[in-house]
Amino acid sequence: MIKNTFQYLHQRRLTLTFLLIGMVILLFIFIPLGRMIFSSNPSVLWNTLLDKEVRDSIWLSIYTALIATAFGLFFGVPLAYFLARHSFPGKRLVEALIDVPIVVPHIAAGIALLFVFGKNYFGGKAFDAIGIGFRDAAPGIIIAMIFVSVPFLINSAKQGFEDVDERLEKVARTLGASPWQTFFKISLPLARRSIFGGTVMMWARSISEFGAVLVLTSHPSIAPILVYDRLVEHGLEYALPVASLLIIITLVIFVVLRYFAYGSKKQ
Amino acid sequence: MCMVTKQRISTAFIIALLLIPLLNTGCGSSKTPLPVIVAGSFMVPIEDLETKFEELHPDIDVQVEGHGSIQVIRQVTELDKEADVLIVADYSLIPMMMYNTTIASSDEPYADWYLSFATNSLGLAYTNTSKYGSEINQSNWYDILTRPDVTVGIADARLDSCGYRAFMTCQLAEDYYDDASIFEQLFGNSFTWPVTVSGEDGIQTIHVPEILEPKNDRLVLRGNSVWLLFLLDAGEIDYAFQYRSVAEQHGHSFLELPPEIDLSSDDYATSYGSVMVKMDFQRFGSVQPEFNGEPIIYGLTIPNNAPHPDIAAEFVSFLISTQGQAILTDNDQPPIVPAQTDNPEALPAEIRELLQ
Repeated sequence: MIKNTFQYLHQRRLTLTFLLIGMVILLFIFIPLGRMIFSSNPSVLWNTLLDKEVRDSIWLSIYTALIATAFGLFFGVPLAYFLARHSFPGKRLVEALIDVPIVVPHIAAGIALLFVFGKNYFGGKAFDAIGIGFRDAAPGIIIAMIFVSVPFLINSAKQGFEDVDERLEKVARTLGASPWQTFFKISLPLARRSIFGGTVMMWARSISEFGAVLVLTSHPSIAPILVYDRLVEHGLEYALPVASLLIIITLVIFVVLRYFAYGSKKQ
Repeated sequence: MCMVTKQRISTAFIIALLLIPLLNTGCGSSKTPLPVIVAGSFMVPIEDLETKFEELHPDIDVQVEGHGSIQVIRQVTELDKEADVLIVADYSLIPMMMYNTTIASSDEPYADWYLSFATNSLGLAYTNTSKYGSEINQSNWYDILTRPDVTVGIADARLDSCGYRAFMTCQLAEDYYDDASIFEQLFGNSFTWPVTVSGEDGIQTIHVPEILEPKNDRLVLRGNSVWLLFLLDAGEIDYAFQYRSVAEQHGHSFLELPPEIDLSSDDYATSYGSVMVKMDFQRFGSVQPEFNGEPIIYGLTIPNNAPHPDIAAEFVSFLISTQGQAILTDNDQPPIVPAQTDNPEALPAEIRELLQ
């Protein structure tokens, strides 16, 4: 019996080693998050939730991120499909360009946006004509969120479309479906998991954005900015419950969404 | 190029990238860091001071961090950051927020002396794209600021000296221009929770609410006066209440206000004293800040829990030396010569010598 166990362990050396190494990074992620969640006692968290400033900012974060994600879906999915189905000179460059918002420091992204959507620049002027301003206003939050998080949606959707067997689309076309019908009845449903996954990622990334939003809009404050303000203005003990609350809320939503996205997938 | 070679090259490249930090820590670790937390409005001069000081002391790495002045002190007293030198735009914050608060580990107060070393004046920074920039002057500024198409930036009075001083200047303006509606017109309808003024015994007290939040987009509030600068550059705001030194350092146009209201001159100290700013809420633990109208005087101290008090004293000595004062002058920040202190006995000896 002991010998068997030993043999078993010996055979699984690689697995065990990797598991042990992997545990380090898992703990590195879990311990700080867990401490955050459990460091504030429930009554403090409840009082924090009753704080109107906190509720307003969390709600603001959630709905601006939703709007940002809606824009991401509307403009990103067609692009993803196009990229998945066509090759053209410079395609690699375009794909690299889509990833750029992920790598630029987000403060820099915010400044870049300011130079287009600021009220003295062409984007700002154009939107000003229809009564939309970006400084210290919800639209400023939304464009910052779109900019930094839409790559996640585009990449995920593109992967999804690439995984759809093109022959299925061709069959649909030979059976008389129009290109639009083929897209909506075949390609889109088959890629929906990836699109949904990308949507969740984009939304989550939008909620967590700080730097790009800060440049454009510090009032009204989204939740991450409120946490930062509380930290520098009031100190750790005031920032902590807000941060814990934010983590709990996003975690719950994220887990639920992931369950719907991947939960029913049969492997 | 074949696939395998390409892969090898990219692997090698990634490994090389990962090795870069090792090179860096090798040389960086030999320098002694000197953390200095300064008022945002002192960021430009401190960088010049840092460069010169590091030339003289190549083994020291001055590490500068900027905040609104109230925040500068709270970094140390409430957020447990260790700093060697604190520099604020209002010397009075040091006794108010540091003399009576004690370091948990030693029961000492956070500080027991300050040096006043420089002055400044408050006015309006603007650019050549600011609306009505060509017509603004000392007699019409408050009128232009209230025009509906003009956006004004102001620092948050709860965090930054520049913010409560802007309130003071606008309140002083009522007497100077003999127009009792100036403050009300500028700020009366601008905040969700109003900033109010009450008068008693000839002193006008400006009450700042716990939550300061602009109500409309004609007023832009930032936690640190220097965060208004890029908004000014980008044309998001037309005017910002700003220190003269900062406007000059950033190449902005600056409307100087009359000395009776710009908080620059000792001659008007008594009349400045006719206004005060009060924050009637429990935000800073036991301290409820009250700011009397006074000439602008920058102050500095070495906290009692400074990690490198000796080097800190050297740095402060350099700052108030002839060489340091020349750097201030170059940055349009008038030095106080010699620097003054409230408690010579507590000063490190090498600094005390320089005050004679």
